[in-house]
Amino acid sequence: MAVITLPYKYLERLTRTDKKTILEKVPLIGSDVERVEEDHADVEFFPDRPDLFSPEGVARAMRGYLGIETGLPTYPVKPSGIKFTVDPQLATIRPVLGVAVIRGVSFDDESIQSIMSLQESLHWAVGRGRSKVAIGIHDMDTVKPPFHYIASRRSRGFIPLDFSEKMTMDEILEKHPKGRDYAKIVKDFPLFPLIVDDDDHVLSFPPIINGERTRVTIDTKNILLDTTGTDPRAVSVAVNIICTAMAEAGASIESVEIGGIQTPTLAPSERVLSVSECSRILGVSLTPASMAGYLQRMRFGAEPSGPEKVRVQVPCYRADIMHDWDIFEDVAIAYGYDKLESQPPKTYTVGKPHPVQVNAALAREAFTGLGYLEVMPFTLTNEDVLYTRMQREETKGVLRVMHPISIENTVVRTELLPLLLEFLTLNRHRELPQNLFSVGDVVLDCHTHQQAAGVSTHPDADFSEAYASADAVLHELSIDYLVKESADPAFIDGRRGDIIVAGKKVGVFGEIHPAVLNAFELEHPVAAFEFDLRAVPGYPAL
Amino acid sequence: MAELTQNEKRLLATLEKEKKADAPHLAGLMGATPEAVVQWAHLAEDKGLVAVDRIVVKEFVYTDEGKEYAKNGLPETQLFRFILPGTMLSDLQKHEAFRIGFGQLRKKGLIRVEGTSVVKVAGASTDIDESALRNPAEGNPSTKELLKRGILEECETVRNVIAITPSGLALVIKGLDLREETGTLTREQIISGEWKNLNLRKYDVSKLPKKAYPGKIHPYQRIIAEMRQILLEMGFEELYGGIVQQSFWNFDALFQPQDHPAREMQDTFYLKETLPLPEGYEKVKAMHISGGETSSTGWGGMWREEKAEQCVLRTHTTSVSIQHLAQNLKPPVKAFCVGRVYRRETIDTTHLAEFEQLEGIVMDENVTFGNLLGILREFYNRMGFESVRFKPSFYPYTEPSLDAEVYVEGIGWIEMGGAGVFREEVTAPLGVQYPVLAWGLGVSRIAMLRLGLKDLRLLHKSDVAFLRETPSLRHSKGGL
Repeated sequence: MAVITLPYKYLERLTRTDKKTILEKVPLIGSDVERVEEDHADVEFFPDRPDLFSPEGVARAMRGYLGIETGLPTYPVKPSGIKFTVDPQLATIRPVLGVAVIRGVSFDDESIQSIMSLQESLHWAVGRGRSKVAIGIHDMDTVKPPFHYIASRRSRGFIPLDFSEKMTMDEILEKHPKGRDYAKIVKDFPLFPLIVDDDDHVLSFPPIINGERTRVTIDTKNILLDTTGTDPRAVSVAVNIICTAMAEAGASIESVEIGGIQTPTLAPSERVLSVSECSRILGVSLTPASMAGYLQRMRFGAEPSGPEKVRVQVPCYRADIMHDWDIFEDVAIAYGYDKLESQPPKTYTVGKPHPVQVNAALAREAFTGLGYLEVMPFTLTNEDVLYTRMQREETKGVLRVMHPISIENTVVRTELLPLLLEFLTLNRHRELPQNLFSVGDVVLDCHTHQQAAGVSTHPDADFSEAYASADAVLHELSIDYLVKESADPAFIDGRRGDIIVAGKKVGVFGEIHPAVLNAFELEHPVAAFEFDLRAVPGYPAL
Repeated sequence: MAELTQNEKRLLATLEKEKKADAPHLAGLMGATPEAVVQWAHLAEDKGLVAVDRIVVKEFVYTDEGKEYAKNGLPETQLFRFILPGTMLSDLQKHEAFRIGFGQLRKKGLIRVEGTSVVKVAGASTDIDESALRNPAEGNPSTKELLKRGILEECETVRNVIAITPSGLALVIKGLDLREETGTLTREQIISGEWKNLNLRKYDVSKLPKKAYPGKIHPYQRIIAEMRQILLEMGFEELYGGIVQQSFWNFDALFQPQDHPAREMQDTFYLKETLPLPEGYEKVKAMHISGGETSSTGWGGMWREEKAEQCVLRTHTTSVSIQHLAQNLKPPVKAFCVGRVYRRETIDTTHLAEFEQLEGIVMDENVTFGNLLGILREFYNRMGFESVRFKPSFYPYTEPSLDAEVYVEGIGWIEMGGAGVFREEVTAPLGVQYPVLAWGLGVSRIAMLRLGLKDLRLLHKSDVAFLRETPSLRHSKGGL
């Protein structure tokens, strides 16, 4: 999520209304007001709307929403006469370049901060951490056009931003903080992307760092914007968002020629929308005129086109419009979510619980009837709890997560019983007897199924209790079972039984082995059992 | 007045003659222990029938060492007696009382060492100490010294003197039923009719009962069950699905681009296992790349099969409902799923790496975004939240999207869940013909509020005392 700082004075001047109105209404276009301070507010916007990641963008949207200035904002673009060449060797490295000249900026410390934070938010939301899009802004009066986007040898050096001596690009990846952060994007390429001017001065080593030479200061009047990346659409929208924000702040935008094409154009794209489809999706009755009106408030160009259509011009800065329905959402926002008629659907349907949950509920009923208390352990656990402390071999089909957060959470549980013993450890200081059970999912070989397990601990807990409790629960679930002597090392030899259904082992019961009790630091005997709920007759196949 | 127990009655009857006596004496008469008599007396005292006078007496008692000295004299006395004119120090050293006695005698200045012999000081005597040992008294400095030496110990004894009060006496004179009391009735007493002649003991109802702990389901399970019940009543069918899902169903089928940050290793638990892609996956692939046959542009770029085949621990139960939808194209479909979902988050009091999600879908010919609001309003109302509001939001696979908030007295508006209409990019490749309303909510959030938990981990690593003490029926107000 992007949290944007909105200084009231600047925002009020751009929006042409008071801050109270703005703060009251800004959540209604899709945001959360995080903090309201003396001179500014911090507001969180969604990642699909990077055009709102600046005070200028927010003001533009709010002028529309509040009806102060509606319809498509237009941004004139003059050719700058400047050219940019692109080295064909970049095709496999970082092929896409977007450029613009921004003239007549007037910076102070605050507005430099604002453009820097817009740049960072775009790196995050559109740029996927600079891999897809990286943006550089330069004081254009320090360098000489035309400019060249080249694939350079890695040993070439220049003075990177915030440093005073020359470093090679390889050194930058090792020593410069930004180099270390983003090295992974470029480090495997034989040549590195580099932007130089006609005198071979380095402007930027995208996506890593700019040169110190073109640093933007409060004296900067004219900016060269470079945006490089791997995806043309993402690069273009990043250029458009920065250019239109700067234009909102009073700058003028000029295009640059790349391979004979003038860029950017800041021109809208066009879609023709069906009014009836929009009405049908939203559950609101719309006319072409009313729908166009709502869209104009959301800063689209929109006019009725025949009895059923609206012709829409989508502003160039809207990164989120991929599909007609994306525009329908804007209609809903302008209409007001609070005004939508909220009625459940009328179609008659019958509720139906899932048989797995029905069985789980029956198992819970049997356990609670025996005085067992339910616990709901985590499903992520570790080999030590599941196997080592239980003296058991690793269960076949256990799944390990590839990047666990801690050594406590390395595998998905294959049994419940060890987790119940862990619970007894946790509750050693609580009054005995303690009878605990759990019914829940376990996973083997990517397949999930449910098991049920119970433990009872007190000075007299023994094999007979385990057998009696297991028998009661199995009986309640109509499981017709046989018992065979078990070899499960978690239990005491001669005090353990395997639960057999249709010739297959589906569970085990008995008195927990003292070595296992020691491993779980338990001091009293534990009668325990666990079985696979798939043994329930008629259990659904999953 | 509360009923008298049999023992209180017996005590009163004994006191009728004795009037006033100490506990051991009464105990002797009643064939009980003095402690029991005092206990009965206190019960009777509460009813104003007797008066218990508790007299604390300070006594000196001998320690084991002191007992021996009381018999044989203090070590210094023993040694002192042994000294005769001309007694050599070396003789004295052989005496068993030398180790303690010699020091004491020197300290008290009762003897003098002259060269190799030991001489009594004129007029010296240990009589004062001996008398302090035999008749210890508070304030006697010699007694104090003996206490310090661990020969005597101070000990408090309590004497209880029990006297019958006038109202107690009046009660006795009126007559007491002194028949033996019966506690638990036996089978014989019940069937033989003997119970008619028995004096059944009456119990004191003002006392707290012994604690009994029923077996019960987890309070969190109860909240899940309540939500399930509401959805079943609202005509939803319940789904159940696996914890392990293919990335294809968890992400790709939901139009999550393959380079989406949520798909990265640091946010999702990946497994090394893979599963083959389902038949017809190419339509999803085409949707990602170019928007398929819809008005969508798609994400552009690359779409790699290997990435979609990878298994993950499901990050949402939508991976289950989307498969249900793919298999049930005939409207209406109204389904929900509650289950554990996984996010690779650092665990703290409000974040868990695994938590329950409740999620539902509705597919039908004419369902609208407004219907979605209606379903949510109904659900939250039934959960007890009277005020519900909606605001725009963003989810990668829905459009339009919303967040639902409920109003809770004392807290304010709380975000409860997200919802939206499945994007056409999601539904079209599966062959779904009609809009699909989808919504989800974090169950643990409601549980945390309702159960007043400060730490979410307690839901899964619960204190047994918390489970025992949380009642099955909680009087909920305003949804909490």
